[in-house]
Amino acid sequence: MLAIGEIRTGLVQNSTSVPANLTVRALALLPGELVRSSERPIAYAVSPDRLTGLDCRLATPTRVRTRGVGTAVSRAAITGGRVLQASTHTVLVAAGSDRRLPWAHYLARPGIIEVAGRARFADLADGYLGPPQPATLDLAALNERILDDIVVRPELDRRPPFRVARTTLRWVAEIADEPPGARVRGAPAPAEDEPEAQFWLASGTLRTARLSLPASQLSTVVELCEDLALHDWLLTTVTGLIERSRPDAAATSAASTAAVARMRPAVDHLLHLWMPAARVDRRLLPLWESLERRPGFTRQWNVSVNRIRDQIAVTTVGLLGVVAEGVARA
Amino acid sequence: MTKAEMVFGEVTAQRKVASVPLSHLSIELGHLYREDLAAEEITGYGRRLGHHFKSIRPWVDALRHGFTDIRPGRAPRISTCFLVDDYFGEFSTPAELIPALVTAADSVGLQIDYLARESGCADADGVPLAALVESRLVDDPPPDTTGTRPPARETGWLSNGQRTPGSTEALSVVSGWAAPTENGARNHSIFVDVEMWNEQDGRRVWSCPFLAAVWQLLRLGLLRNLGEPVAVPAQLALADLPTSWAELPVVSQLTPRPAPFSAYRTASVLASRFLPVELAVRTILSQVHVDPDADQQVMTRSGAEAVTLPAEVVDRVSYVFLS
Repeated sequence: MLAIGEIRTGLVQNSTSVPANLTVRALALLPGELVRSSERPIAYAVSPDRLTGLDCRLATPTRVRTRGVGTAVSRAAITGGRVLQASTHTVLVAAGSDRRLPWAHYLARPGIIEVAGRARFADLADGYLGPPQPATLDLAALNERILDDIVVRPELDRRPPFRVARTTLRWVAEIADEPPGARVRGAPAPAEDEPEAQFWLASGTLRTARLSLPASQLSTVVELCEDLALHDWLLTTVTGLIERSRPDAAATSAASTAAVARMRPAVDHLLHLWMPAARVDRRLLPLWESLERRPGFTRQWNVSVNRIRDQIAVTTVGLLGVVAEGVARA
Repeated sequence: MTKAEMVFGEVTAQRKVASVPLSHLSIELGHLYREDLAAEEITGYGRRLGHHFKSIRPWVDALRHGFTDIRPGRAPRISTCFLVDDYFGEFSTPAELIPALVTAADSVGLQIDYLARESGCADADGVPLAALVESRLVDDPPPDTTGTRPPARETGWLSNGQRTPGSTEALSVVSGWAAPTENGARNHSIFVDVEMWNEQDGRRVWSCPFLAAVWQLLRLGLLRNLGEPVAVPAQLALADLPTSWAELPVVSQLTPRPAPFSAYRTASVLASRFLPVELAVRTILSQVHVDPDADQQVMTRSGAEAVTLPAEVVDRVSYVFLS
């Protein structure tokens, strides 16, 4: 089995942080369906799942012929009233036959694509993370559509306080099959205790992640990846704001004040959102911890936050000096 | 090392879906169009309805006796129902028709446990059931559906395959005719294109097959609104019947202690002239993504009773077609 997914993360198109009740209304994409939400440790709401039917080729490095039939699950989530994510995923499994079955068969197994052909799961993982191939499975388009549907919601005023790029996380999770009873007593436990994670910055806004986990943790991997995407976006956005405000180039106290002003959106809107692994299933915490060792998200975040705070402190001292001088002169 | 851990949970973060009581089997005691009943104004309800119930009685018995998917020694929970077509215009009155139906069924030893109004399948006391079901449609994708483009919908229609090219794209260059195709056809296509609704006088009018698909989902206990059950049966006093269908509950309970209205499986005994309607119903049901939690409840409870149910919702629906 191979779980694959894509997450787009960006700023909610609204002038202020969206209050919880409006967030829930903005995410009501399916009439008659509940929007799930929680307040602790951070405000979070997620839309009902949207299913899309698919019947197409899947990308592989060797372009070997494969056909996948089934559905992908898409949803949108808003964190802290500020960050909007669209997330689509599906699980690839081997098809029982080469024939296409009645559609009711696939709808009874939501979020699964049955793959016929000779491709191995490792090829499908490489193909999905590799360069885009035309006329193959397009999870990105499903995310774009769900974002389009959210943007036009009347609950949002479409006047964001600052402009930042969206980031995309494309992920695969190789699932170790554990047939019941296959484990011999006393034999070393399989991957259960050691889920693995790798994370790359593929380009300016594209990230890829490759995970491997036991089947029992499949249901929690999407939340882990959404959390990963959220924090990567926060980090990317805050470091981007620092770079753009160029505090090191500020020679005068006026320039320094201007640099701090440019960093202000980060302070006002983003710094309080850092809460890694807040909703991640604790069985997957080792994955987060390994990502904290390398590339070390929180380490870099703390450096960035300290840089902003130092800059504010230095600028404040400078301003106090100016004020004190004025007082002394008067 | 032992670690004390607190489990933190918030109620709204969980998806809550209420469950409904379930029988083993829901038997529909035939169906009649409004016209069938209107004609009775001349000859009286009794004879025509008596003939109707008499013709289906052996098949209802066969369904009851044939139901063996149950632990030995247990009596199956079976309820019966009848759907009155009050959506496409007013006709007769509950006070007039219901006693006639009950008497006619009784004359051949059949009991109608539940009576439902077809208009309730469109709107059940303010809950737009048909619209809720339409929003849960997941189109059967033709080959080469990568997700890049949204499903090619012909407004108000639902098919089981690919329409003739040009029929959906006004600007396409039509280079001769190409046949429509059924997805996953066995050698040859049986292409079905169902009109789900149209607009009449600025109002959306749902088609008979679409309402019948909603009716099947109600009988299968798979519909919810914001996690709550819909069209819950209400007891009806036969002595005090209203003169307008709209005053009747969506699903009325007519007998004192029937088995639950919704069931693991449904069976309908119908005249063969309803076969095209039911083909359309099955085309729709094959593309409805039912509430996964409601479906899980059905699967768990049937499993606990050692009843085997197909995962495919449409395969829980069966028929007897009579000439």
